[in-house]
Order: sequence, then structure tokens, then C-alpha cells
Amino acid sequence: MLTPAELVGLIEAVAKGDQAAFERLYVATRAKLYGVVLRILRRQDLAEEVIQEAYVKIWNSAGQFNPALSSPITWMASIARNRAIDIVRKKSEVSIEEEPQAMEVAADSPDPLARREMTEELKRLLECIGRLEPDRQRLVLLAYYNGWSREQLAEKFSAPVNTVKTWLRRSMLDIRECLGL
Amino acid sequence: MAYTEDHIALAAEYALGTLDADERAQVETMMAVDPAFADIVQAWAYRLGVLNQMVGTIEPRPVVWENIRAELARTAFAQEPPAQAEAAVPPPPPVPEAFAFDTAPTETSSAATPPTEPPPVESQPGEPPPSEAQPPETARPDDALPDIAPVFMPQVHAPDPDVVHAPPAPVVDNTNVIRLEGRVRRWRTVASAVGALAAALLVTLSLQIFRPDALPGALRPAPRIQTVEVKTPGTPLAASAQYVALLQGQGGGPAFILTIDGATRNFTVRKVGATPEPGKSFELWLISDKLPRPRSLGVIGAGEFTARPLLAGYDADLVSGATYAVTIEQAGGSPNGQPTSAPVFSGKLIETVPPAQPQAPAKK
Repeated sequence: MLTPAELVGLIEAVAKGDQAAFERLYVATRAKLYGVVLRILRRQDLAEEVIQEAYVKIWNSAGQFNPALSSPITWMASIARNRAIDIVRKKSEVSIEEEPQAMEVAADSPDPLARREMTEELKRLLECIGRLEPDRQRLVLLAYYNGWSREQLAEKFSAPVNTVKTWLRRSMLDIRECLGL
Repeated sequence: MAYTEDHIALAAEYALGTLDADERAQVETMMAVDPAFADIVQAWAYRLGVLNQMVGTIEPRPVVWENIRAELARTAFAQEPPAQAEAAVPPPPPVPEAFAFDTAPTETSSAATPPTEPPPVESQPGEPPPSEAQPPETARPDDALPDIAPVFMPQVHAPDPDVVHAPPAPVVDNTNVIRLEGRVRRWRTVASAVGALAAALLVTLSLQIFRPDALPGALRPAPRIQTVEVKTPGTPLAASAQYVALLQGQGGGPAFILTIDGATRNFTVRKVGATPEPGKSFELWLISDKLPRPRSLGVIGAGEFTARPLLAGYDADLVSGATYAVTIEQAGGSPNGQPTSAPVFSGKLIETVPPAQPQAPAKK
């Protein structure tokens, strides 16, 4: 695994059109990005499509990456995840779960990392999420990790969609306040 | 900060992913017209993005890299790297070999070596150089798509404008008939599917168009302009109204904002997020089930705004129900009056009532 600084260097090279750097960047990051989008899309075909689009976008917009704003992997994962969310939202009529190819993702949220593996930003965010009521914590994490819609969350929590909407909004504002923003 | 809690929450929920498709389109529109709001959304995406540290890694199949490589070989130079793009004179067209990745990437990390490699994409040497001047009609890069990426067949289960660029079924015998079929299919998909996407027009957008000086920082939770979606295609244009279409691409976010004046039927295209590569032009098309084929509305000029009176010749039903699409054509536009590639941006008209009209502010 490359260090964040090495990844920054690769993205800078990619911004100048360095294809070898792009290939190294892909090798170093593909499994993380694929893990993120497959969790949300639960279908190999869709996840592969999203990964392809994401890396094309990464190639095209590498010059816009700003290391002061985010780590390289966060920037890249955010591009891929955003695309995955677009797709699940637009396919709302066709429930992904009903698809024959749908994949099982057992846990509600991913495995916890050892604390020393976490960045400071993650520790801080988890601390703030941890201050929410237990149900809200799960709500936020399910929304983020599984890409669930309000409707799916409402079903999971046996609550009206509008209530979920309120919870989500309140939770995000609480997190913001906790982070001191 | 001039943004209300509603805006902050909207930005955060966009990043969280819980907004529905219309709301996402709304946020993307706001981001397109208001960079400061885009920064807020981006900041949330990064803030929450650290959560991905806890997501386990899964190796994608090697074919994914093949597809990325093929896609970039086709389009790599659509956007020059920044250093070159700033040069006053466009650089000479790069040779296609410049993007000749070899098969799958070599492993440089500790990740397990992916199992079997699919055969390398065979058409690599034969494909048209990405930035070469457009050859005549029969050999468009678009037509070459099936050759370039035959292994990658996204399965589209619902009409989705975002995947209309997906190559049609792999074509072994590349006859004109088959190619045309593919093209027609793509256009049809766009015409029928685009409506779903076109969905949400934003208050903010209208604001930007009618009162550009009111942005940024003046976003309000209560709309100043009522926006009314034209649900039924064929509703005639009302003379008093303005119509707007966001022409969106697969990457999300509008690239062009098309406005039509109901009274004069003059239209204006505003470029917000797209620049054609050197030697290419964006051409605007009107697609309607009332017309046998797309009609050109002309090449979109190099400036930010392109205004034209062309729509006066079309009847109102047709104009309001049509899909508007942008293709990339050779400089100066398609040589034969027909689109030579699949649309890269498209959208449908939504009626907007100018702020001069009396209205009750919509409250939630």
C-alpha cells in the first residue's frame, strides 16, 4: 500500500498526463474503490461500470485534486461513491435487492479498524457520530456504507419516511456542530 | 457564511447519499451555478469520505482495467492536461500510441495478482487516433466503440440516460446497417429516457438565469421563482413563460443551460461546464417523436452564450415536448445534417415562470 504522500505524487503526475503513474494509481486504489461501490451497488456489473467511469473521471480531473482538502483516497473514493449513489437513486423503481445478481453484504457496517489505523479525521468523525443516539448512529452509517435511500432506511427502522428525513437532517446538523463547523 | 441550515443540511445529505434523484439533480444544479455551495458539498463529501477507511478492499476483475484503458484510448485527449491546455496554441494531435497501456497493470502493491487475463483488446492499433481530425461519415470514433470495448457490456435494466453511451452489442461484422441500428437505438434510448433525468429544475437555476446578480450567497430556502415541470409532452409553449432545459452528461451536473423564450421562441444556450476539444464543435439537436430524425439547431458557439431564433420554425407542441441533445461533431458541425455520434448531453424543457408573476412563496 502506497502512502498518502506517494498517492499525491501519482495524482500530480496523472494530471500531467503520465499514464504509467495512472496505472500505478489504479493498482494501488482499485480494490478500495471497488469495495466501496460494490457495497452500495451489490452487483458486479454495475460496480464495474462505476469503477470504469470513476477512473476515467479521475484521469480527466486529476488536475483539480487539492491535497489540502482531502486525502487522495478520499478524493477518489468520493468520485466513485457519488457515481454509485447516482445509479442506485435513479434505479429506485427497480429494487436492487430483487435483482437475481444482487450480492449479499452481511454486516450493516464494515469491520472496525484498529484504532491506530484510523486517521485523526476519522476518529473525530466517529466520535461525533458516536454522540448521536444509537439508532441515529446506525441510520447514518447504513446510509453512508450501504447507500440506502430514506425509504429503505424507513423500512429498516420501521418509521415513516418523513421521520427518517427529519432524523437524517438533524443528525447531519448535529455532526456538523460536534465537528465545530 | 450566507447559507442557511437548510442549505447545509442539503449539502450534507447529498454527500451522505440519502437525497432522491430529483433532489440530487437539484443540488448538482445549485453546485453548477454557485461554486461556493459546491465547495460546501465537496467539503461534506470529504468529511464523510474518511468513513471509507473502514471499508474492506475487493479486487475488481482485470477486465475493468481493460475497459478503462480502452475508454481512455478513445477519449484521453478530450481534455488536455492542464499544463498543455494553457498553451495559446493547441498542441499537435497526440498519436494514439501515446495511450497504449499494456494489458492489465502490473502488480506493484501487495494485493493478490488477479487471476486470468482476458485477451488484450485487439482493435487497439486500428482505432482512430483520439484527436485526429474527424474522418468522413463512415468512420466515427463512436462507431468504433463496439470494436474498442467488446468485452464490457453493462447490463442496463432500466432506461438510464447515464448509460446510453454504453456500447451496443459487440459487432463482428461492422456493416453500415448494424452500425446505424446501434446509433438509432442509442438515440431512441436518449429520447425516451432523458425525461426521467430532466426532472428537477431548480429555483436556483432560474434565479441564476433571470437574476444572475442575485447569486451567490443569496440562496433562499423559499423559492423566489416558481418552477413548474411540464409533465405532459405537447403542452404548447405559453407566450408569457420562459422554458429551461438542463443538458446533462453522464458525469452529472449540467453542461449547458438551454432557455427558450415562449413569446419569441428565441433560444439561448449557456455553456456552464463543457469545452469541446480542439478541432471539434458541440452541436445542438432537437429530438422529437414527431420528427423522423434529430434536427440540428446549429453549432454551439465558442462563447459563453449562443443565441438563435431557429425554433420559430417549429410548432409549439414539438418544441415543448422535445428532447434537446448535444453531440460532439467535427469543427463547424456535422457535415450531413445528421448527428454522427451519440449525444453527450441531453435534457428536456421545464417551464419557469418569471419572478414578475405574482406568486405565493412555496413553503415546506
